[in-house]
Amino acid sequence: MATSTQSCPECDGRLREGESETVCGECGLVVAEETIDHGPEWRSFADDETEKERTGAPLTRSRHDRGLTTEIGRSTRLKGRKRRRFARLRRQHNRSRIKSKAERNRVYAFGEIRRLVSALDLTDHVRDQSCILFESAQSEDLLRGRSIEGFTAAVVYATCRTTSVSRTLDEVVEAARASESELTAAYDALNRDLGLPTGPIDPAEYLPRFASRLDLPQAVERRADTLVDAARERGLISGRDPSGVAAGCLYLAARELECDLTQAQAAETAGVTPVTLRSTYQDLQE
Amino acid sequence: MRIDDRRAISREYFSRERLAEHHFRSFNAFLDRGMQEVVDEKATIETDIGDKEGEEPVYVELGDVRVVTPRVREADGSEELLYPQEARLRNITYAAPVFMEMRIIKGGEEEEEHVVDQTETKIGRMPIMVGSNKCNISGFTENELIDIGEDPADPGGYFCVNGSERVLMTSEDLAPNKILAEYDTKYGDEIQVAKTFSQRRGYRALVLCERTRNGILEVSFPSVSGSINFVTLVRALGLESDEEIVHRVSDDPEIVKFMLENLEAAEVQTTEEAIETLGKRVASGQGKNYQLKRANYVIDRYLLPHLHEDGVDEEEVRINKAYYLCRMAEACFELALGRRESDDKDHYANKRLKVSGDLMKDLFRTALNKLARDVKYQLERANMRNRQLSVSTVVRSDVLTERLEHPIATGNWVGGRSGVSQLVDRTDYMGVLSHLRRLRSPLSRSQPHFEARDLHATQWGRICPSETPEGPNCGLVKNFAQAMELSQNIEDEQELKHELASMGVSGIPGIESIEQTPADD
Repeated sequence: MATSTQSCPECDGRLREGESETVCGECGLVVAEETIDHGPEWRSFADDETEKERTGAPLTRSRHDRGLTTEIGRSTRLKGRKRRRFARLRRQHNRSRIKSKAERNRVYAFGEIRRLVSALDLTDHVRDQSCILFESAQSEDLLRGRSIEGFTAAVVYATCRTTSVSRTLDEVVEAARASESELTAAYDALNRDLGLPTGPIDPAEYLPRFASRLDLPQAVERRADTLVDAARERGLISGRDPSGVAAGCLYLAARELECDLTQAQAAETAGVTPVTLRSTYQDLQE
Repeated sequence: MRIDDRRAISREYFSRERLAEHHFRSFNAFLDRGMQEVVDEKATIETDIGDKEGEEPVYVELGDVRVVTPRVREADGSEELLYPQEARLRNITYAAPVFMEMRIIKGGEEEEEHVVDQTETKIGRMPIMVGSNKCNISGFTENELIDIGEDPADPGGYFCVNGSERVLMTSEDLAPNKILAEYDTKYGDEIQVAKTFSQRRGYRALVLCERTRNGILEVSFPSVSGSINFVTLVRALGLESDEEIVHRVSDDPEIVKFMLENLEAAEVQTTEEAIETLGKRVASGQGKNYQLKRANYVIDRYLLPHLHEDGVDEEEVRINKAYYLCRMAEACFELALGRRESDDKDHYANKRLKVSGDLMKDLFRTALNKLARDVKYQLERANMRNRQLSVSTVVRSDVLTERLEHPIATGNWVGGRSGVSQLVDRTDYMGVLSHLRRLRSPLSRSQPHFEARDLHATQWGRICPSETPEGPNCGLVKNFAQAMELSQNIEDEQELKHELASMGVSGIPGIESIEQTPADD
């Protein structure tokens, strides 16, 4: 039994909330009874520890209607007039699902966000956060005059940055239906008007991805990680392209551990020029 | 045979490779050929782009499909090889990325057809059977297995979805594309029925040929309500003359008598008339042209689909359908005359087993259709908003993944079957072995079905006579016999047919039979 903050109207004693009634702990006065339980009635027989769902899909922010879609189904049993009536009902129902232009845009944008997230192999958390960010951008009226595709790409990019799973601009643009200028225009607007909590990107966030794409062993990745730390301490990171720093550290680590890796390969994977890579590499060697 | 010889054989049968071998062979065949077959069936994704004025049509061509070995994508974006033990411990799915070659093709109306974009793109992830060819532990030695935390004695043959091990239950189905003759009752009279479950590329159609109480033959098949006169249908298929129809059914004088009754009662005499009559049945109240079109579509699409084959022209397929219907008619008459017994549905020759590979093929087919619908939608959307069409931006890989993983995780298979995948019984080692070699009859357990539950003589050597549960599932859930060998369908039917033709079988559609010279020549 949980204790509530309110006190007993008769004796000012502490109230206790039980299964179905609220009782004063001192005098036993029943303050309220037969309260409605607003919580979900967990009812999962399989493994109730991990999957606490009663029925149906859980609510999600990544759908314009939170995933509570009602659909009028089809049946082969309906014939003739009744069948046609249901076809009309279905059509009207589908039309009434979207109320406004903004909602229609949201439907399209959320679909696009889902596609992007799946193409970039990101988690469901990123997907939901991106959708929330898009909604707030829409309510701030940022979309006017900018493309939805650009905004969807920008919110995914922004969410990646704020949740420390950074993707490079190039990676997002490649999967998106927007050009880089559309993306940056949208991202700048987001950053200016919503004040995204983003700092400079930590090059370490790029390391595992680049390392696996270059097929480097774990040891190289770990060594590169310590090199990034060293670079940070020596102040070599600020003002540099983080993917360039990551590539430089990976290259140096590979050299130290005698692993085959050319500057060109590392630079190409990171999407930087070998010159950018070399500047970090040379500074770190000193 | 001496007892220790027998023991040696038993030991061989219970070695690692043999126990779940039917699962491995079936799933490997699915990975090697089945997936590509499904993609080739689909071949293209059509879109509605081009319906508007001054717009060029767009479609997508599907090419080679390729599966790699299981990998895990971490949140930081790195990708690593995944071993089954890691999948079990981290509650993730043991699945491998699937890649497919896709080309977006535009044009055909005003301008010439040209490829807009062509790439091999990741279309989703396929759950991989532990121990199959694409599994990361295949070919590992005992010590290597121990090093990665795998049990060397584990038989494999199951999937790992969200960390739980799921085995696909082998199901026992009635053999498709076979004529089964049996008795039935209609309005209190005994009638004779010849049945065929005609199956091709996941489409299944039941064709019935009934001999009603007044001796008239009627055929029923999907998309046509009720039944159609046999002679009408055969004439519609191009078997026109009385003589030929009778000859194709049988030369037996008594059957010929029965057939003549049928021909006398015939409604139509020519192919054109027959197709018209059929058209009135399938599209009554519609225009004449539409009726003809619909009638032709129905007989080419829904009647005996298994007789269709690549490289055989429609004309020949139709006449083969007529011949096939004549065989069914013959079976009916023979049954009526007592020349044969009714076919035994429980006979093991009339049974086929659907093992994991076949089940995965069904699943992959529907998943690919879903993906195709999504690609179509994405393409139309991108086109509507005047975006550049590219393969990588129209494929959503989670569509296929979701469609493949969800049925394995829940057991709710396509086609409304449930309980297809089950949690591997890890009570003890023998439990696992028995579970992998279990098979289930799709018959309802709430109905008696005494004959289906009985031990049939043909199960000798194939099905264990004693291992079956007590209670409602008794006799419906069975287990393989120890030394059972499960034979697989042939890879290339064309090759088999050529072989048969070279041995003197004539009249195989699509193959020129080789002239045989008589032995005394």
